[in-house]
Amino acid sequence: MKRQLKGLLFLLACVVLVQGIGAQSQSRMIRCTVSGTPNIDPGVGQDYGSSMALPNLYDSLVFPQNDGTLKPMLAEKWDIDRSALNYTFYLRKGIKFHSGKEVTADDVAFSMQRLLTVGEGYAYLFTGVVDKATVVDKYTVKFTLKKKFGPFVETLVRLYVLDKDLVTKNTNKNGKYGEMGDYGKDWLITHDAGSGPYTVSELKQQQYLSAVQFKDYWGGWDKDAPDSFKLMDTTEGATVRTLIRNKDVEITDQWQTMENINAMSRLPGVSIAENFSGTILNVMLNTKKAPTDDVNFRRALSYVFDYDSILKLFPGSAASQSPVPHDLPGFAAVSSYRQDIEKAKQALQQSKYANQLDRYPVEVLCNSDVPDLEKIGLSLQAAAAKIGIKIDIVKAPWISLVDMVSNVETTPNGTIIFVSPHYNEAGSIIESRYHSKSTGTWEQAEWLQDKSIDAAIDDALATMDRTARFAKYKAIQSKIANDIVPTIWVLDQAERRAYQSDYVYWPGAELAKAGKPVTPVMGYSFYFHDFKIFPDRKKK
Amino acid sequence: MLSFLVKRLFQGIFVIVGLSILIFIIARIVPGDPARMSLGPRAPQFAVDELRREMHLDKSLPVQYFYWAEGVFRGDFGKSINTKRAVNTDIREFLPATLELALLSGILFIILAILLGLLAAKHHDKWVDNLIRGLSYVGIALPAFVVAELLLLLFGYVWPIIPVLGRLSPETGAPTHITGLFTLDSLLTGNFTAFFNALAHLILPALALATGPLFQEARLLRASLVDNMGKEYISVATGYGLPSRVITKKYLLKPSFIPVVSVMGMDLASLMGNAFLVEKIFDWPGISRYGMNAMMNKDLNAISAVILVFGIIFFIVNIIVDIIVASLDPRIRLGAKS
Repeated sequence: MKRQLKGLLFLLACVVLVQGIGAQSQSRMIRCTVSGTPNIDPGVGQDYGSSMALPNLYDSLVFPQNDGTLKPMLAEKWDIDRSALNYTFYLRKGIKFHSGKEVTADDVAFSMQRLLTVGEGYAYLFTGVVDKATVVDKYTVKFTLKKKFGPFVETLVRLYVLDKDLVTKNTNKNGKYGEMGDYGKDWLITHDAGSGPYTVSELKQQQYLSAVQFKDYWGGWDKDAPDSFKLMDTTEGATVRTLIRNKDVEITDQWQTMENINAMSRLPGVSIAENFSGTILNVMLNTKKAPTDDVNFRRALSYVFDYDSILKLFPGSAASQSPVPHDLPGFAAVSSYRQDIEKAKQALQQSKYANQLDRYPVEVLCNSDVPDLEKIGLSLQAAAAKIGIKIDIVKAPWISLVDMVSNVETTPNGTIIFVSPHYNEAGSIIESRYHSKSTGTWEQAEWLQDKSIDAAIDDALATMDRTARFAKYKAIQSKIANDIVPTIWVLDQAERRAYQSDYVYWPGAELAKAGKPVTPVMGYSFYFHDFKIFPDRKKK
Repeated sequence: MLSFLVKRLFQGIFVIVGLSILIFIIARIVPGDPARMSLGPRAPQFAVDELRREMHLDKSLPVQYFYWAEGVFRGDFGKSINTKRAVNTDIREFLPATLELALLSGILFIILAILLGLLAAKHHDKWVDNLIRGLSYVGIALPAFVVAELLLLLFGYVWPIIPVLGRLSPETGAPTHITGLFTLDSLLTGNFTAFFNALAHLILPALALATGPLFQEARLLRASLVDNMGKEYISVATGYGLPSRVITKKYLLKPSFIPVVSVMGMDLASLMGNAFLVEKIFDWPGISRYGMNAMMNKDLNAISAVILVFGIIFFIVNIIVDIIVASLDPRIRLGAKS
């Protein structure tokens, strides 16, 4: 009896002990789940998690606003010369890096040069465009372009300015970049050299990135702003649900299934934010493979697709009205494909494959890593069967999908993929989706290779006047949507995330709730400097 | 015994070399260009070509293997295209986490399997035995990740008395690094707060991983014990009036353990490779999860390193199991001698 009593007391002591172990502290930290540990080197990172981290650790010359315009950031103002090949930026004075050193033109030129040399991350926005960056004086930097590029200033949101002295000091001399060694790449995996509102406190691979407020941030601080943030590398459904339920995370990632999102929406104090992010869901039709090499066949598929049922799978999303998502500047509503079986039949009758459907089965590929995409394939399969088109659904992991679409022979008739813009303009989507340069990549499984479209895109991008450029975008969108029809544009995706609305003020979510535009530039709706946290409002 | 060890080690070299060639080829024939995957579809060609050259992907397979093997002999597994740092660094960081998990899981399943097996055998064909057998069917049928989800639901939602995610609570600092095993390091440095915290975080993932092997081995031990209980020498010992505790300890356990030890060894070695989903669910930063991420992204250097490490661990565990079995069963020792 005594032994049993001792055992019971011991057990109770353990329970009390672990209760203490399990207890969580409260702070003004904002935690988000992300897919993959962020790459915080501005010359390397470009995925979503990295794009969330970078604007918080670094400043760029300009900053994207929710209405699609740009506001000066490190730069006070800028000039473009008559040739449109020289851009001169005048920096604000007195802005400090986290190291305490002042931001100067030398740092900006260094950052651009580094990006061009390393060639990773967002370098692709500049490598074909920028010839050189020159220091004019301490606070003036000039970019000389190789060719006219109308959206150049828009792309500068991705030029994050590094502290040249700090990077140089931490460069590994045994790197492959000559006298620049490794350009600080090893050191920048776990450190930052920025001037942004937050500075890295710890990065643990496969776990998290955490950063704390930079008290001397030139943009100042609201008293309720988060004093730190943490990006946690997990998207596992049950794990994320547990985290948000226990108030151990403030915002989830966008990869949660509809079922999980719905379950999380029922938790007290949790709301679902639905933000458009410039992402469009496409069924890319291979224009070089029978039967989707026939425009009327493609038109038939576009009319037979059941758009409404798919919209129900992605609540908050909007029906696409163009190859470009509606929230991108330069978008034009040029098409309105809706399910119309009669029109589908008529289009099919005009196709050369109308009486040979048995000989030409259609294969549609979806990424097995994203379960919801298969539902789209199945919906298309069911709809196409109504007009006699047989569709086979093929699933492949991302790595295999990327390999399959790298070759026109192995690219299936249809490939279901989300695509996002690289900068905040319609030209980004038009170029990455339909210019011949992107064939063989997962961004273009249509294999369009249309010289007239290439020329139109190049011309539009070289147009300096925004209004004129947007008019050219409109013409291209119209031609693609109505004359070529290489894609079924399923929907403009609203990213859905659960977040702790009872104590977190998320500007992007509030704007979206009010039906106002939110910047679609990837990661910028997570500019934590503008968030507010009210820990005393946390519901238990 | 020494000659046996030397012979096994010698055999092991061929096994490891063969494994390394197999991994190397399989990793490279899986579709996808790792350089392009790593840098993205719009990365300039010069950057992709540079990365391919760095990874020797522009060379023939035998030449690539030569470079890789030469690096391995120098202790350099190359760079991970995912983490952007040396694979050695990744392994040093993630291997202890999975080792710690596998060790506790192993301790749990061995101890509990022995207890349950003994209990079931002692009360064989009674309700205790039937209950344990019933639980065993369920325990073996349930995959580890399902057990993990159930434990997460129970302790994350219904009864949150124990931490469910990660290796340590955010407010608990990691102990001074000695081995990388938080429980051991904190004990060695006298940091008991970290010890209890780390242990609390270990319990659920270790239990999830241990469930299948635990019941498998319990059933096996129970069957082996019941089988040996019916043997004549046990009847003779009982007839001599020896207490049952002495019979069990001296005459029953040793021979009954022989078949179980081999299976335990296999299960112990497999824990590390099977831990991937459990690590994902409990947000455990281990090498199994790292390895799976490497495969999803065709991170060639990381894939090769992880599989080689697992292969070596499997090999070492097998040798240890052989030694234990040889010490339990004199017939094996004598057979080896003759």
